[in-house]
Amino acid sequence: MSAMLLHKDKWSEFTGRLSGKNLWAPSLQGGIKKFAPVGEGDAVQLDAENTAVPPKALLFPQTETLFRFSEGQEDLEFPGLDEPVILLGVRPCDARAMAIVEKLFRWDYEDPYYLKRRELTTLIGLACNEPGLNCFCPSVGGGPASTEGLDILMVDLGESYLLEGLTGKGKALLEECKDLLEEAGADALQQKEQLVQEAASKIRRSVDPEGIPEALPGLWEDPLWQRVSAACLGCGICTYLCPTCYCFDIQDELEGAVGRRCRMWDSCMFEEYTKHTSGHNPRPTRRERTRNRINHKYSYFVDKFGVIACVGCGRCSNLCPVNIDLIDILRQVKAAP
Amino acid sequence: MDLNKLRETAAGIVSRDDVKYLIGWRRGTFGYRAAPYFVEDAAGVEELIFSPLCISNLAAYLTLVEKLPVPRGQEPDQRKVALLVKGCDSRAVNQLLVEKGIKRDQLVVVGLPCPGMVDWKLLAEKYPETEAPVEISWKGDDFLLLYNGQEIVVPRAEALAEKCRLCRHPNPLISDVTVGEPVQPWAPAEDSGVAEVEAKSTPERWAYWEEQFSKCIRCYSCRNACPLCYCEDCILDRLDPTWVNRAVNFSENTAFHLARAFHLAGRCIECGECERVCPAGIPLGKLNRKLAHTVREEYGFEPGLDPEAEPFQASYKPEDPEEFIL
Repeated sequence: MSAMLLHKDKWSEFTGRLSGKNLWAPSLQGGIKKFAPVGEGDAVQLDAENTAVPPKALLFPQTETLFRFSEGQEDLEFPGLDEPVILLGVRPCDARAMAIVEKLFRWDYEDPYYLKRRELTTLIGLACNEPGLNCFCPSVGGGPASTEGLDILMVDLGESYLLEGLTGKGKALLEECKDLLEEAGADALQQKEQLVQEAASKIRRSVDPEGIPEALPGLWEDPLWQRVSAACLGCGICTYLCPTCYCFDIQDELEGAVGRRCRMWDSCMFEEYTKHTSGHNPRPTRRERTRNRINHKYSYFVDKFGVIACVGCGRCSNLCPVNIDLIDILRQVKAAP
Repeated sequence: MDLNKLRETAAGIVSRDDVKYLIGWRRGTFGYRAAPYFVEDAAGVEELIFSPLCISNLAAYLTLVEKLPVPRGQEPDQRKVALLVKGCDSRAVNQLLVEKGIKRDQLVVVGLPCPGMVDWKLLAEKYPETEAPVEISWKGDDFLLLYNGQEIVVPRAEALAEKCRLCRHPNPLISDVTVGEPVQPWAPAEDSGVAEVEAKSTPERWAYWEEQFSKCIRCYSCRNACPLCYCEDCILDRLDPTWVNRAVNFSENTAFHLARAFHLAGRCIECGECERVCPAGIPLGKLNRKLAHTVREEYGFEPGLDPEAEPFQASYKPEDPEEFIL
């Protein structure tokens, strides 16, 4: 099945049908936009602005039970991960982020939790016709209609959506819905190309990462780190809401004789992240922590996996309450001697 | 606001041998953002600004600074820190002095009478953020935007930040030097946000806060931005014992927010930073202002007005009300 058209008249029928398959879509939840389950009959509205909380939260939940235990019992109780999930309206940047993060979770140890969730998830992407102010995905290898990581790419053509099945999973899903779809003609594909080009031309900010991974090791003691981190509050916004940040902590929670081991998001911007039991902290101030955040994304990850661990979604720049702006930092890195 | 006067004053201060740096604001990198700015030498003052975008409370940086261990044989850096303060910010300085969180002789306070700040999110509804930073100034009671090369007057009521509508102290209450003429305080608006929560029944209130706290992602930006949340060893970071689990759920999130609110009762100076920085849109201002209202109405106490005041939670008067004690 090649490219299909879904007329918007049939949108609610389409989402209604998917809602029986554990469908999640962007939703404004009391002032914060994130992916939320779509119940039967719930309307799904996809608008221009991306979610504040990236869909990584579904594959890598902020708090995840690894297993439960109880005193005197040798057997551990593992959570059953077997329910397929469909994410509708994932932005190309966030899907690319999942493809990037997967490299880590498949690396020296295959993380069964992440990989199982990834396998159970079908990603229906939505190309961005109206990029946000701080979007810079083309600078880091993405684009407003990038397909990496997606199973289906949707493009809003106005009266209808163009749907392209990209993987076996995606094609199978379209096959199931084919009574709602019609074959897309050459004009629809041409319209898509035009929209994608227009979207790319609307992207306002950019930074050419050429040379940054190579330059970073030599800038270890550069005064720029003090400059760009001076205002940092040391909170977790830039990392928790980053689609490619994957650091976690593991803790046991005990209540009486039963408990659980869980892992939860952690942030390299927190003071205790690198604090040793002895009290020594190799990253004693926000200068070192900021330097690490940038180095991890633009140097260490590149060395290990050959790709920048940043998809240019702009969340960190948008959401930082003290205007610590990734694009500005990268420009300073490029300008440094 | 005479920026030249501000820059001249700042240059004089940072040139002093006994001053380490001055904390002010500079133009942000895009849109409506103003960035906290650390000025270390006289050349740096050229970037200093004071505009309706300078809403953040820089007093938080007095206690956020992380000190490295002093190498053997070296003396610790005892130079003063200079700080620009609006009326609300100055109350944080006073409260920190009351609590001995900072030392007066290590501070140079530059007071800036404040005509009121904008809430840029209100502005952005009508005038979306642009790649180029937007210049904003005061024009009479209103705000003047230089937006895409056009001058636009935005009426005060359309863009004034909530904390400024409620403000009772626009002029700094402590300063070594003041730049600009005192502003005439305006009649504070009624706190409709708190009134709205107060009007709810107990179960409704519980449901309201359950919805709000459930959104929390525990990034701790509210704690870190708060000038009066500065415990060296925070209960939230403790692992042994783990007072508050790191797990993010309604129960742990509530433990976090209530612990913070209780500890701010009689200390919160209503600068609104907690709510401003929250990426999840939790109306923390309502929670903290409710406690501030109670302290003011029941005990006639307002923190941050006087650096010599007795701390509220450490003082007692025989006539203090106690009917609500169970």
